[in-house]
Amino acid sequence: MNNTASPATQQTAIVGSRSTDWQGEVMQKRIVRRYAAERRFKYLGLSAIVISSLFLAFLLFVMIGNGIKGFSTTQVAVPIDFASATGGASPEQISGEGAERALNSLDIAGVVNTAIEIEYGAEAGDIFTENSWTDVRDALLSNPDMIAGNTTVWLTAKSEIDRAAKDETDEKFEALYAKLKDAGKAQSGFNWGFLTGADGTDPARVGIWGALKGSIITMLVTLAMAFPVGVLAAVYLEEYAPSNRVTDFIEVSINNLAAVPSIIFGLLGLVVFLSWLELPRSSALVGGLVLALMTMPVIVIAGRNSIKSVPPSIREAAMGVGASPVQVVFHHVLPLALPGIMTGTIIGMARALGETAPLLMIGMRAFLTSPPQGLTDPSTVLPVQIYLWSDEVNRGFVEKTSAAIIVLLIFLLTMNAFAIYLRNRFETRW
Amino acid sequence: MTGPAILLLLLGLGLISWIFGRAKANRFITAGSKNLNSLPNYHGWYTALWAIVPALIFITIWSSVSPALVTDSVLANPAAAELTDNGFKRGAILSEARSIANNPGQKAFNPEAEQLAPLYAKAQSYYDIVGTLAVILLCFAGAAYAFIRIRPDFRARKRVEQVVMIVLLVASLIAIVATIGIVASLIFESARFFGMISPIDFFFGTEWNPKNTSVAGDGEDFGAIPLFWGTIFIGAIIAMVIAIPFGLMSAVYLTQYARPSFRKWMKPILEVLAGVPTVVYGYFAALTVAPALRDFAAAIGISNATSESALAAGLVMGVMIIPFVSSMADDSIAAVPSSMRDGSLAMGATKSETIKKVLIPAALPGVVGGVLLAVSRAIGETMIVVMAAGLAANLTANPFASVTTVTTQIVQLLTGDSDFNSPKVLAAFALGLTLFIVTLLLNLVALHIVKRYREAYE
Repeated sequence: MNNTASPATQQTAIVGSRSTDWQGEVMQKRIVRRYAAERRFKYLGLSAIVISSLFLAFLLFVMIGNGIKGFSTTQVAVPIDFASATGGASPEQISGEGAERALNSLDIAGVVNTAIEIEYGAEAGDIFTENSWTDVRDALLSNPDMIAGNTTVWLTAKSEIDRAAKDETDEKFEALYAKLKDAGKAQSGFNWGFLTGADGTDPARVGIWGALKGSIITMLVTLAMAFPVGVLAAVYLEEYAPSNRVTDFIEVSINNLAAVPSIIFGLLGLVVFLSWLELPRSSALVGGLVLALMTMPVIVIAGRNSIKSVPPSIREAAMGVGASPVQVVFHHVLPLALPGIMTGTIIGMARALGETAPLLMIGMRAFLTSPPQGLTDPSTVLPVQIYLWSDEVNRGFVEKTSAAIIVLLIFLLTMNAFAIYLRNRFETRW
Repeated sequence: MTGPAILLLLLGLGLISWIFGRAKANRFITAGSKNLNSLPNYHGWYTALWAIVPALIFITIWSSVSPALVTDSVLANPAAAELTDNGFKRGAILSEARSIANNPGQKAFNPEAEQLAPLYAKAQSYYDIVGTLAVILLCFAGAAYAFIRIRPDFRARKRVEQVVMIVLLVASLIAIVATIGIVASLIFESARFFGMISPIDFFFGTEWNPKNTSVAGDGEDFGAIPLFWGTIFIGAIIAMVIAIPFGLMSAVYLTQYARPSFRKWMKPILEVLAGVPTVVYGYFAALTVAPALRDFAAAIGISNATSESALAAGLVMGVMIIPFVSSMADDSIAAVPSSMRDGSLAMGATKSETIKKVLIPAALPGVVGGVLLAVSRAIGETMIVVMAAGLAANLTANPFASVTTVTTQIVQLLTGDSDFNSPKVLAAFALGLTLFIVTLLLNLVALHIVKRYREAYE
């Protein structure tokens, strides 16, 4: 492009004909240039969006690619002659009340370990962990008749064997697995233990039910605290609050709470709930309270918008037939605003479900091998479990971390999809 | 009686009084009274509230007073008279006796506690019975008072609605309580920290090296400058270099160029980016992005690249912030009056020229406000930096080096022991207070800018 010449020619064109020569070569070139810039700008915008969505796709691809393996498990066969090993214990002995104690007295651990030793000799330690016998105990508890016979049980193999089965590492274990596979002593299956178990030291035997249950209890506490308080506060601020200093302060506080970094709420929980009020550390109760404080402003803001969008004619009609201000709101405005409030609540809860940092502060990062039984039990939640597993040195935890992320994302997507459904189905545009 | 049992009993009594109050009001109607002031339901609620609320208030007071009463009555017993005068040991024995009384079968550490336990159990059951009786009495008295007051012209609705208003006000005040709780807890603990470490050392020191001691000044360094720099470097520089162009351009494309059907699909997809939990981003940054960046750095000849780099954390954080910037820019561009846009187009400017020369300059205050909000969110973000940015407090501008941030160090300091007297733990609260104040100021300034800008075009 000849930049130096164009102003001059432009000037002569104007002087010469007293009007712009739109069809002339110079102007045409200029237009072509401007249109090219226009197209470039448009494609720049498009590429910004495409790159952002590609990043999301790549993230999901990596997580699913890694995590899908976490849902399968490798089991190795061990023939056990229960009848002779336990000295002829009867099925009645280990059923009903006190079954677990009876099993302990039969030394199932010893029985299983001896059977493993006989079958695999020196390689036993490479194939199974010390806890493998618990599979047998659980199988016996659900099916006591097994104890009278000579059966082959399938035990979850050690993480290294599991990973060798998925073609990942280490020649030694690959060879061992190939040997087992050729002998028909190894099989793969869906990892039910991952959905029903809790944390552990061997990645092949960990599960997420403990963390998931902790998440569910925590979310219930959060919902029970944040929803009523949030809705009532929204009603007050939108319908009744006089405009004075107190109301202003409440509004500033709510907007401020919505913008405070989540880790600050963790510090608040640590000092106020654990140190001053002496509530139980690591418990779902404290976690739920902290998350409720974070979720409440979200519900208040969504609730206020939803209440504001109910047209004044509804209120005036209700007042016109003699309803009191409280009746107007609770009988007419609130039911109409409820879908919007619900949508906001679900979105707030989804955010709370993915929250990690404040829960680390109040100690919900304990190593727990059994699910929590109540509000005050030490518990952990799904995102914290993901964080804890991501820190593990053992490479076997990579697939478990990604698998846990898949479960978390499924929950979040379901909640968000439900919120969108509620919005489309029930929200009225006035 | 235990707490839940009493509450259940109270609820049952409240239901009964609701039924009775309502029934009495209904009788006026059947008796032919035309001018009942309130609906029978309100008379029911009025009675139920009188039955429950005074009793609940009593329970709250009683549960804070009764342990002291129990201890007093145990100490008044001759068996407790020989207890040592040493206040600390005395307290330990008493609390042990109480726990034995509550869990029979527990082994006693102090023999005195064993003797006092039955006394405790006796006193506790005595005061339990007194408390329960008082609750029931109060419940009946309240219900009876309300029941007597029910007449056709009694304004039950007004009374009930007053209570509803009080409940609404209390619910709103919880936001204030939470704010005060945050400020109080941060200031209280930070004041203790600044009592041990001088604020000048903290805010202007360049060495960050907290150690695990409860004695102050024992070779520890609490200079937070490297932390502040790391936070700004990751959250306000690297993340914004990613988020501002991508967020702005996608907002421009979606609002100015995209067909409605494309916009309808792409906007939710971008919003999913904001909905992914930060722990997932952190894991992704640590697992995939950081190693890739390290290899890249090694390939272009940077020798000291680590797998925990500022760039990895900042990059992923920037992507997380894109939808936030995008939606703020979207709002600002939409707020520019269409006459300005139409005027520019009518003068013959192309769309991109209109956007670059008219829309974005006009929307700039709103965009800047949005970016400030995004920065405040980025510097408060925790999990991505905890998992990907590392712990070494380096004062460096090399994006491939490891830096640490305020939030990372808060997590690090409060993990493990939580001895509330060591400066190491208290430093976390000083960092938290700083973070709180900075994000608060950023938000106030940003909201102010956005508000002023909105007013300019109204």
